[in-house]
Amino acid sequence: MGLFDGINISASALTANRLRLDVTASNIANANTTRGADGQPYRRRIVTLGERTPFQQALAQEMNSVASPGQGVRVTGIIKDSAPFKLVYDPNHPDAVKDVNDPAYGYVRMPNVDIAAEMVDMISASRSYEANVTAINAAKGLAMKALEIGK
Amino acid sequence: MSLINTRAINLLERSLDAASLRQKVISNNIANIDTKGFKRSEVSFEETLHEALSGETLSGRITNERHIPIGTPSLQNVRPSVLTDKSSSMRLDGNNVDIDVEMARMATNQLQYNALIQRINGKLSSLKYAISEGKR
Repeated sequence: MGLFDGINISASALTANRLRLDVTASNIANANTTRGADGQPYRRRIVTLGERTPFQQALAQEMNSVASPGQGVRVTGIIKDSAPFKLVYDPNHPDAVKDVNDPAYGYVRMPNVDIAAEMVDMISASRSYEANVTAINAAKGLAMKALEIGK
Repeated sequence: MSLINTRAINLLERSLDAASLRQKVISNNIANIDTKGFKRSEVSFEETLHEALSGETLSGRITNERHIPIGTPSLQNVRPSVLTDKSSSMRLDGNNVDIDVEMARMATNQLQYNALIQRINGKLSSLKYAISEGKR
């Protein structure tokens, strides 16, 4: 366990939350993308987070030999939301369903992005980011104070 | 017991260790605020230290080095330990980190750390004073 562990732990969360912001930005940017690389409308991306515990540390903790905090957070994956696409009636749209036998004839499949939910997610990520910046500043303050010992 | 390694400085050092560990644990709690199923941890040190200092609690006598210590450990063996609160849940995803509580604890911990540094500096400057024969 080193002097800068606290800063590293918070830094991992800064990275994770920045990625959450990036993914939210991508979701909002593609809120109206009806044709992606695979020819399908854009699917909302969701970031999943997991605790970061290296094996050595988890083992030591289970053996109860050392008192150690976790090692922060990591992104376990960016998964696609499987919710159905929204249907908007617009027969002249180039991506509208052209098949007359399809019940969705004349409708355009729009991405399953909910702008309001994305905004909430964005605020959540940016608040988490700020909280972790505060934690880094606190850790830095402690280290700076420790340098004053014996002055 | 030497010039520097007095009981007071030793205790201050170990309290500083506990405070810096607590900072890391709180950082980890804050870092995992959005992690599904994460359970918060906390550092337990002051209570054990207080019990060991007051000497009012029962502890098993160790007459053989292979004995397992029971009860409150002796002052030399008080170590900070990390405990995980697995019993509660704050949200639907099983996470139990309360950001307000964590931020407040972090602020308290910072103050405590600074106070400990001030005390250790006080001790050291008394020593310096004595070494310089009272001439500042």
